[in-house]
Order: sequence, then C-alpha cells, then structure tokens
Amino acid sequence: MSSLKLEIRDGQTAFRPGDEVVGTASWQLERAPRELEVRLFWRTEGKGTQDVHIADTVRYADAAASEQREFLLVVPRGPFSFSGSLISLIWAIEAVATHPAATARAGIVVSPTGAEIEL
Amino acid sequence: MKARENPFRTERVHAVRFRLAGTTWGELMGRLASLGHRAAIVGPDGSGKTTLLERLEPRLADAGLTAHWLHVSNERRRLPKGTLARLLARLGDRDVILFDGADLMGALAWRRLRRRSTHGAGLIVTSHRPGLLPTLLECRTTPELLADIVAELVPGQIAELRPRIPALFEKHGGDLRLALRELYDLYAER
Repeated sequence: MSSLKLEIRDGQTAFRPGDEVVGTASWQLERAPRELEVRLFWRTEGKGTQDVHIADTVRYADAAASEQREFLLVVPRGPFSFSGSLISLIWAIEAVATHPAATARAGIVVSPTGAEIEL
Repeated sequence: MKARENPFRTERVHAVRFRLAGTTWGELMGRLASLGHRAAIVGPDGSGKTTLLERLEPRLADAGLTAHWLHVSNERRRLPKGTLARLLARLGDRDVILFDGADLMGALAWRRLRRRSTHGAGLIVTSHRPGLLPTLLECRTTPELLADIVAELVPGQIAELRPRIPALFEKHGGDLRLALRELYDLYAER
C-alpha cells in the first residue's frame, strides 16, 4: 500500500515570519513518482471563493519509489494565520506526488505570537 | 464558530458527492461519447451544473482526454484577452474544452468558439438554457436533494435542520448554493 508522510522537526507547529520549516518527507509508492514536491502554502476557508497561495516549494528530482528526504521551507513575512466567522486563513505544508498520486498535509500556524489571530 | 470549523464552508460543500438523478455515470459518459463529447449541462443557478462539469474531468481523464477550462460569469462575461486564441491554437484531438457559463458569452463569440473547436476532442458547457449544444443532462433541485446534502455535511444535526429545509429551498428558489450559504451563516453565529 502506498504511503506519503511529512514530519516537521521536533513536532513544531507554530512559526514566525522568517522562520524555517525543517523536516522530512518519506514515501513508499508502488513505483517511482514522475514528480514529488513539498509545498508551504496558505489557503482561505469560509463562505466565499477560496484563495490559495504557494509560498515556497522543494522539488525532489529523480525521487525513488521508496525514500526519505529532508526539506527546508522559509516562512514569508505574511499573511498571518487568522480566523473569524466569515473567513479563516490557514497555513500548511503538503507533499504531493504525481503518477502515482499521493498527498500528505500538515497544518501549521504562522504569526508573530505563534498563535492564530482571532478576529 | 470559526470559518474553518463551519461545516458549510466552501471546501466542504465543494467536496459533497454529486448525486446523479435518473441515470448512472456509465450511462452519462456513454451518452456524452455518443454526442462526440460536444454537449451542454443545463439548469438554473445553484443546481449543480458546475459541480457536474468538475466531476466529469477525472472521468474524461480516465478515457485518455485532457480537459481545458474556460470560465465566464455574470461578473466577468469576457475571457481574458488571447485566452481562447491560445487554447484553440494548441487544441489537439485528445483535448476537451470544459466551458462553465457558456450562455453568458456573447452570441458571436460563442458561434466562433463552437465552429473553431471542432478539431478538438470535445466541447462540454454549462448553460442556464438549452440550445447551445445537445443537452447532456438537465440539472434539477428538490428539497429532498437539499436535505440529503445537508445530512452529508452535518449528519448529527439533520434532524434539527430538516424542518427548515422546505422553507429554505423555497426562499432561494431552488438555488442550493444560496441555501447552503444561509446555513453557513446560521452556523457562523453559533
């Protein structure tokens, strides 16, 4: 069975602007993927149209079917994680493999205080 | 309630399974193939036309076809300049155009697209009215369908919400998108 996992170093989930998100991506796929990358991104959730923005990406060239690789992604200056009743802005990292397809995702918080800002 | 916890947030509503009424996916894809993949999904606002078009994409991929999306809306009735010309120039015999909101495009531009896209593998559109292309499926909504979707989104609270469903459906004229947004607001206040 295929698996794709993400682990952030020391289990850290809160980051400040400029911090580095460091960790490992590990996968066991039925064959070597055509592409595999880890992304740092934010998305909005709520009532209206969703927005998504990828802030940083690490691509693994020539990924094998089964492997473990380190990643380092840099958190930009913003926007910060926030949540109100109409919209939430959510940061996460995700690993995406294509052909064969597999994904893994881990939520993080980006803010000067390390906590999500509540509106 | 925070937006990211609201069970009626866009992401969850978007993930709701499309419910085909009176047909199966196999029959629908067979009919689409018999129409040369040139067909229209017809229905009023909030009846699931765009959702069905989106759900066709992976099934077309399974058939070895590549989808290329075009979107127009009441807010933006024209495609960005050059979009159509670029798409038509590289359209191959395994490429299908999925055009959401085709009836909102000007009549002249639509006729031009219909004529110039025949060398591709297909043109599947959504429209509020029939007539642009042969109708693949007419999307209809019912209070029961709304209740079914609500039950999928909040299985533990459907008993509480069910009495409201007929009035909610009526209030929004069968537009499920608007009805679900009202439920979002209801939960946002909790």
